[in-house]
Amino acid sequence: MNKCMASDIQEMLPELLHNALPATERGRVEQHVVACESCREELRVLRAVKEAAVFAPAIDAARIARQIPPYRGVLPASAPARSRMTQWLVAATAAVLIIGGGSVVMNRDSATTEKIAVVAPATGTGASELSPVIASPGTSVAAATQSAPVHTFALASDVASLSDGDLVQLMNDMDDFDALPAAEPDPVISVDSGDSL
Amino acid sequence: MTPGPERPPADRADETDMELIARWKAGDGRAATQLVGRHSQALARFAASAGERDGIEELVQDTFVRAFASLDSFRGESSLRTWLFTIERRLMLDRRRAERRSRETVPVAESDQVSEYGALDGLIAEEAQERVRKSLDALSPTQREVFTLRVQQGLSYKEIAEVVGSTEGAARVHYHNAIQTVKEFLKDE
Repeated sequence: MNKCMASDIQEMLPELLHNALPATERGRVEQHVVACESCREELRVLRAVKEAAVFAPAIDAARIARQIPPYRGVLPASAPARSRMTQWLVAATAAVLIIGGGSVVMNRDSATTEKIAVVAPATGTGASELSPVIASPGTSVAAATQSAPVHTFALASDVASLSDGDLVQLMNDMDDFDALPAAEPDPVISVDSGDSL
Repeated sequence: MTPGPERPPADRADETDMELIARWKAGDGRAATQLVGRHSQALARFAASAGERDGIEELVQDTFVRAFASLDSFRGESSLRTWLFTIERRLMLDRRRAERRSRETVPVAESDQVSEYGALDGLIAEEAQERVRKSLDALSPTQREVFTLRVQQGLSYKEIAEVVGSTEGAARVHYHNAIQTVKEFLKDE
């Protein structure tokens, strides 16, 4: 048993062995070890254990590195950062549009752009066909489709360019839309996200 | 004069583990080779000091494959080496559980039983090193793990606690019990 009373010094002997002490502490510990037989003995034992040959094969690092598949995660995008909610809205919108299989149009809130809306028949009519209605520039979509409830959707390819407010409105509209198709929907191709250990 | 093709940045020995990880994620496979080269021998020594004799390179390889597959979950709160030791330790435990299950069904023939260091006798050059290894053999598995991680790998108690799934206080107790046992063993020999 180490008879030394300086337990804080004893605690630092392994760090001394690995040259892991800051300079000031190293000086203090080395000075103590010179004067303390118990700590010198303990340090000898630790050094013998550290240097004892452990039967470990030389590892071929290059061979192991070749077994490692390339990184499959998502790197930070260079595009402008979006909030997590916005990213979820974009993904959810695209997923619903793909699954629904309905035709989609682009609706931009711009006085200079022709607005195209998808007109959905009123609930209960039994029909699920969507009819395009074109509103000329300066005319609101609602005015152009006075006779039927209008649900406007964005092209899947343009979803990412919609503003946060547009996306929220889009999701709200989709909540009200009965997207039940008359025919069996096309099968959805699932995306393999990869396994993680 | 037309400039030649842009040369890739030279590998720098002073790059930190996190910098190498970032480089690998960006598509530089050489960063993976550097990381493996930096830590593989320490993993091999840890496995050997924990009692593994066969398939150490396979164990090290499995450790790296798992580590790289889940690098997104490595937050850098501990050192990469500590994290690698944790993964390797779990793999060793899995391996031993599987071996125990197979031993239960397959009786071990007399000739298969080899003393722990029998195969190493030819390699031991110095009697002192043999005595040290025997003193480590006298420790419990947990004491040997903690003791070798502290003395041979230089880990702090906090890091050891993380690797073995315990607390700093328990790691300290195991270490102090271990060093007493080792010292007494070497004194008696």
